[in-house]
Amino acid sequence: MLRILHDTNYDFIRWWKVMAGITLAFILLGLGSLAVKPPNYSIEFTGGTLMQLNFVQPPDVGEIRATLDQAGIPGAEIQQFGTNRDFTVRAQNPATVAAQAGGATTIADRIGAVLKQKFGENSFRVIRTEGVGPRVGNELRRGAIIAILLSFLITLIYLSIRFEWRFAAAAVIATSHDVFTTIAFLKLMHLEISLTVVAGLLTVLGYSLNDTIIIFDRVRENLRKGRKETLYETLNRSINETLPRSILTHATAFAATLALLIFAGEVIRPFAWVMAFGIVTGTFSSIYVAAPVLLWIERKWPRQTGARQSSSTATPTSRTRRSPATAAR
Amino acid sequence: MSLKYRLLCIVALCVASIWALFPRTVVERVKRNGEFVYDTVRRVPLKRGLDLQGGMHLALEVDDSKGVVADKSKAIDNALKVVRNRIDEFGVSEPVVQKAGNDRIIVELPGIDDPRRAQDVVQKSAFLEFQITDKTQALEKSLPRLDAVLKDKKVAVAAAPGEAKKPDTTAGLQSLFTADTSKKADSTKKDSANAVLATGGPGAFSKLIQQGRLPGEYYVAQTDVPTLTQYLGMPEVMAALPPGKVLRWSSDTTSLGNRTYRAIYVLDAKPIITGEYLTDAKPNTSPTEGNLVQFTMNNEGARRFRTETSRHIQDFMAIVLDQRVMGQPPVIQSAIGANGQITMGGKDLQAAQDLALVLRAGSLPVPLKVVDVVQIGASLGQDSIHKATTAGVIAVALVIIIMLGYYRFSGALAVAGLALYILYTLAALAGFNAVLTLPGLAGFVLSIGIAVDANVLIFERIREELNHGKTVRTAIDEGFRHAMSAIVDSNVSTALTAAVLYQYGTGPVRGFAVTLLAGIAASMITSIFVVRTFYMIWLSRTRDTQATLSI
Repeated sequence: MLRILHDTNYDFIRWWKVMAGITLAFILLGLGSLAVKPPNYSIEFTGGTLMQLNFVQPPDVGEIRATLDQAGIPGAEIQQFGTNRDFTVRAQNPATVAAQAGGATTIADRIGAVLKQKFGENSFRVIRTEGVGPRVGNELRRGAIIAILLSFLITLIYLSIRFEWRFAAAAVIATSHDVFTTIAFLKLMHLEISLTVVAGLLTVLGYSLNDTIIIFDRVRENLRKGRKETLYETLNRSINETLPRSILTHATAFAATLALLIFAGEVIRPFAWVMAFGIVTGTFSSIYVAAPVLLWIERKWPRQTGARQSSSTATPTSRTRRSPATAAR
Repeated sequence: MSLKYRLLCIVALCVASIWALFPRTVVERVKRNGEFVYDTVRRVPLKRGLDLQGGMHLALEVDDSKGVVADKSKAIDNALKVVRNRIDEFGVSEPVVQKAGNDRIIVELPGIDDPRRAQDVVQKSAFLEFQITDKTQALEKSLPRLDAVLKDKKVAVAAAPGEAKKPDTTAGLQSLFTADTSKKADSTKKDSANAVLATGGPGAFSKLIQQGRLPGEYYVAQTDVPTLTQYLGMPEVMAALPPGKVLRWSSDTTSLGNRTYRAIYVLDAKPIITGEYLTDAKPNTSPTEGNLVQFTMNNEGARRFRTETSRHIQDFMAIVLDQRVMGQPPVIQSAIGANGQITMGGKDLQAAQDLALVLRAGSLPVPLKVVDVVQIGASLGQDSIHKATTAGVIAVALVIIIMLGYYRFSGALAVAGLALYILYTLAALAGFNAVLTLPGLAGFVLSIGIAVDANVLIFERIREELNHGKTVRTAIDEGFRHAMSAIVDSNVSTALTAAVLYQYGTGPVRGFAVTLLAGIAASMITSIFVVRTFYMIWLSRTRDTQATLSI
């Protein structure tokens, strides 16, 4: 039988500090760049108009921009979308959104009219038009945030019942970590935050949570066996035992994501990017966030029963001086 | 459960799934030679969302830019009936017209190829207003300011970067004489497309309009109508218009000399009465006034109309239908009661009949504005399906390669399970009448990669048990048993997230959540039940207890 990373015995958690540093730096980089420039929200959130145009001949982007500027639609973003004859025009600055208060199609109609005047009646086809009022956008944004928070709450409750609150809290913290890294990723990749991307983010959270649960399930099982080892060791053992499964599942999930990324087209690509990153951050957080956090919680609020006391009292080797339990002081 | 029953269950599920997905004959409204007819068509009963089949999504709300509507929810309820009637008249296959929240109407029109017309039909409020024309010369008083605004506007535009690419020399020369801002002006006059803004020199607004015969009536040359319309659309111009007044175009044109003009009227913003009191309307032809629509109001409307008109004797009353002034505003001779008429100008009797019909059956109780529009060409939808399918096929191929390569025979069982997974998921989507959207399809493709996770968990457990020296039979049993808690916990928590998505998502995201839920259920059934059964079949065929399992 073909085996990958079978019967391993790596001390994963030993590196938690380094890993925490890396992920923290990444998050801070992302959030810092957010502070400098706000994220790139899609018109679904900001309100505004998006038109996807298919030109007969490759147009001059500068010319499109100039035409729109003159027509009183300044600051419209023009982007190639696939081939050099496909473009999206995005008008989402506040003035444009305000002008849409009278009707969501006003700006789209105007863009269509001025471009027809400039490039000719049959020079392009409108493939897609989206016009969203500012109010609709606000509702969506609130909906997305509520969805994320609510899913955390439900997860917390479910895991508290199935495991116990320490595991639930550690899992939710690991998952929140993924929210931040993914937002940082979105920002650093200049990906547009659309409804589909939010759905992708939620999928990432589900995926990461899955991964954490698989490891915690093993921890729960190993704890029941009542071995004479610290929680630190149990966590490491559990991560190692679930390693082959992790590799395989991440491989198949990544294969599907790759297929989406390459073949599913421009509309789905941001979603696929989020998912691709999500597999990485989900795996990372299950090992380097969930486990150290669980150790820390365990030290702060030790369980009364069981063979183990708090992990700090039973450090087996000198190496575990690096364990978060002691380092967290 | 014995093997026989297990097999029976799987076969029954398969049969039900195939039945759910089998192309069936449905009565549908289809477009044939440009006409909508009911017809029977055979198709796979998987509903495609607007983003996959093309079409139009509209969200409409009460337009309270003219007067606050007290009970929006009720107004929307009434409007909903009207919109539904009209959409039925319009003839679209499987339209959706529904109330969303308290104050919004969602209209979905799949496969629409003339969005402009569709929107007109939905939005044409057949909204009748009676407004008194302005007699205070309000527009004249605002003209200096309007001209000033346009002048500023032009300078701002001319100064914008990327403008001075092709300066037209003739226009440049002219501007030396006419424009006081010299250099800045010329570059904007580069071609006809920009002529609109280029003319925004001194007196830009006032030179377009000339006083008409009635108070508040102005004539605009037909050629200048687009220019003025564009001016009126500018926020700065809107702000400079006389307060408490509105400008409304006439519905038809008049010829003066050899030029064609369209009248624009300055009206009191507050209508003296609206069409909500209308009880009846019928077309008629009068020898003197041509085609017209006669209408009757209910008692309350008649009383109001009488009071209001008696206050405005000798004023001119514009009959405004959907923001267009119908005919020339008549002078109010004496108080008008329950009956009145709308003259159709030069339009034919058909137009009068149509107007009577919408007024009678479907005048919207409140004006609606489109707050949200998504319009997707059919070709884009086709393209999306094509690409998602390609991605799906490749994802499946990659997953098969990984599973077969790593787990060999057991991997083959998992692949067989995966085939059933795809079948069950699609069937569940068809069965629940779920709408397949592009994010939904993406989620489905992704779920193929994730669905084998349960199999992987089980197989890894079986390997561990085998390592502990258990027999194949026991190892399989133990493997499934031990993997169960992890599978259940991880799937249930994902399902809970999906449920939240469904609850708080809209449109495409909702579709995504449904696909996710269907996928989770199907994945648990196939990995826990179906693959287990496959193992049982295999075990029952290998009597030899020493058999080795290819895993």
